[in-house]
Amino acid sequence: MASNAAAPFWRAAGMTYITYSNLCANLVRNCLKEPYKTEALNREKVHYSISKWVDGKPQKPTIRSDTPED
Amino acid sequence: MAMAALRREGRRFATPLISPNPTNALRSSLIPSQEPVSSGVRCISTQVVRNRMKSVKNIQKITKAMKMVAASKLRAIQTKTENSRGLWQPFTALLGDTPSVDVKKNVIVTISSDKGLCGGINSTSVKISRAIHKLNSGPEKENKYVVLGEKAKAQLLRDSKKDIELIMTELQKNPLNYTQVSVIADDILKNVEFDALRIVYNKFQSVVAFLPTMSTVLSPEVVEREAEAGGKLGELDSYEVEGAETKAEVLQNLAEFQFSCVMFNAVLENACSEQGARMSAMDSSSRNAGDMLDRLTLTYNRTRQASITTELIEIISGASALEG
Repeated sequence: MASNAAAPFWRAAGMTYITYSNLCANLVRNCLKEPYKTEALNREKVHYSISKWVDGKPQKPTIRSDTPED
Repeated sequence: MAMAALRREGRRFATPLISPNPTNALRSSLIPSQEPVSSGVRCISTQVVRNRMKSVKNIQKITKAMKMVAASKLRAIQTKTENSRGLWQPFTALLGDTPSVDVKKNVIVTISSDKGLCGGINSTSVKISRAIHKLNSGPEKENKYVVLGEKAKAQLLRDSKKDIELIMTELQKNPLNYTQVSVIADDILKNVEFDALRIVYNKFQSVVAFLPTMSTVLSPEVVEREAEAGGKLGELDSYEVEGAETKAEVLQNLAEFQFSCVMFNAVLENACSEQGARMSAMDSSSRNAGDMLDRLTLTYNRTRQASITTELIEIISGASALEG
């Protein structure tokens, strides 16, 4: 990064652009009216399991589920 | 005594199975008919064929059902995939695709499916990933794998264990959506150091054609370096940057967003190819089951016919022996 002073607040908080835009998208989805709101929120479900590998050995896998803010 | 009877029974059951010629088997099962025999022994070889036919028929039913399921899933995912192509096209127009860029830290993102029975698409993407790994290897160079999906994991575990950095599975529990893929992309960005990300997937062309494809996403530093070197990326300077952000920040945001968009498209394309491949694989396997069933039916009928003929001959010759 060029200068830390000019960095946006969300990057200072350790977010990437993707997290930031996801948060914004979620806010917009929450602004919808009711039948569409639940539909839009239910569509964007997150579920996967991730495991980090160190020196050819898997660490314990963690499951990310239904946490769009993660 | 009981054991002996059992052994005899076993032998009688075994003979038609190992005998290559069904008519001979029938004869051999006829020979020990002086002993007390249970009914149906005569037809033992047709019994085996009948069982086989039943199992083949069941398998055919299953593969047909799987084909139907794949076809309906394909239709849903195909429209999604075709719509998602609009996400990466502007990025390619702006930043260009630079597959030949030479950087130190390569991260190969191999995308595969979690489930099997879908032809060769998983081995194709693994093969391409290995080729890229080989192509980019050299002194002072680092190649790492990020694997999506069980199938590529199983194949890459065999020889590239130490190069694996991250493995993600169970992607397709819910229907694929952008939020999920972007969270995955975020996880990759946070956990892996890279100069260039090379995403390997099967691009869906038609139900029977899948192109193994590599998309390259550069890190912002490399984008800047390449921009200074000129070429396609050199045109970046002609864009005006609005607001207080510097060019480096804009590039970083762009690179991150590009990665998540390209990933979204890649995951969708691969899922679409998976369903297409599964559909054609299941189609051909139900066709093969049908062929097999035809052959078995032919054998079954011929054996039955032969046994009837033999019985008739026995009766007629017995009758003529009595007459004469």
